[in-house]
Amino acid sequence: MKGELKAWAGKFEALTNGDETIAAMSKYYTCTFIYDMEQARILVEMHDGKVKRIDTNPGPMEPCDFALHASAATWREFAKPVPKPMFHGIWAAMFRQDLKVAGNHLALMRNLRNFTVQFELLRKCGVPV
Amino acid sequence: MAKHSPVTGRYVTLEVDGREYKVFYLQNGTGTPLVCQHTAGCHNHQWRGLLEDGEITKNYNVIAYDLPRHGKSDPPHNREWWKEEYKLTADHFCNFVVAFCDALNLKAPIFMGSSFGGNVALQLALRRPSRFKAVIPVEAAAYSPGFYLDWWRHPSANAAQVCASGVWDLMAPQSPDMDRWLTWFYYTQGSEAFKGDLYFYSVDHDLRNELQNIDGRRCPVVMMTGTYDYLTPPAESENTARQIPGGVYIEMNDIGHFPMSENYPVFRIYLNEALRIIRERTSR
Repeated sequence: MKGELKAWAGKFEALTNGDETIAAMSKYYTCTFIYDMEQARILVEMHDGKVKRIDTNPGPMEPCDFALHASAATWREFAKPVPKPMFHGIWAAMFRQDLKVAGNHLALMRNLRNFTVQFELLRKCGVPV
Repeated sequence: MAKHSPVTGRYVTLEVDGREYKVFYLQNGTGTPLVCQHTAGCHNHQWRGLLEDGEITKNYNVIAYDLPRHGKSDPPHNREWWKEEYKLTADHFCNFVVAFCDALNLKAPIFMGSSFGGNVALQLALRRPSRFKAVIPVEAAAYSPGFYLDWWRHPSANAAQVCASGVWDLMAPQSPDMDRWLTWFYYTQGSEAFKGDLYFYSVDHDLRNELQNIDGRRCPVVMMTGTYDYLTPPAESENTARQIPGGVYIEMNDIGHFPMSENYPVFRIYLNEALRIIRERTSR
């Protein structure tokens, strides 16, 4: 599992750092968030549109700006190349599924364009759960 | 040789509830007027595919206006509008649509709108059934709470991007990237009006106890909703249509809340079916 998580993190980092849509407006995309996938927790620290750090085993008190909590089943749907309706984004899943966003919502809103683009990269690299 | 579109743009001045508006609209086609309302916080370019669809414009006079405070339609010229908070009401919205149709002297137009435009289509079917040949509420429901949010113009966030990316998930992942990003681009231009529009969409619009009073035989109501719409999911629209006497519901597969803008080739398939049903019901 540990090796798989590391491999996934490397893939997600490469996809993020190579994404042209994020790069087109990357300045100030600086925040730290957690993907809580029930069976795995992933901390992603972004700095000016590039991944600064991905921690696949963050401690319970690891600081972050905001966190996305949903069941592993929901995350698996998010990561399908063409997700089913209501699993096709964080807003859809907040309104109609079990996704909860906790923490500083303002940090999410300030970075919404790039966060959304990056979130959809999960459709290319899958999720480690 | 210049490559001109057949679509033309004009301004018309009209008065609604004491407010003077100079309204911009795009037009193309001949035949039955088909009046189109864009979604909240957006403008009439959402109807660009329909406006240039020769198969439809040969039988329909397609008219897509910018609601005041959107696109090229200014806020009222006879009021100090900057001194009052913009909150669109059902009364004013309906009065505007009727005044616009009157100003253009449109006889028995079909009214089509998406999202808050779909909701006002339901309001018009209830309040002014004799003024319209039919209505096509797209992505509409009797009640659509939950989107009147402070985030749309929070001073600490980039409102243009929050509005544009906040509605990104309303589109289906299958819709073409170019059209989704154009829709995103339109949304960056309407952030100042978005929240006020949503006052109508999520607060003032509530027809849950009125649907049985809409006469879908006098003014046919053909509702259409995309399967990827999380704000008014298909079940909500279907439930609304079922309670309207004579109401029709069409589900649109693999498309979202901005169907005419995010994937026109798919939308037109369903629109043609809606127009066929209206022709059938109004030719008796």
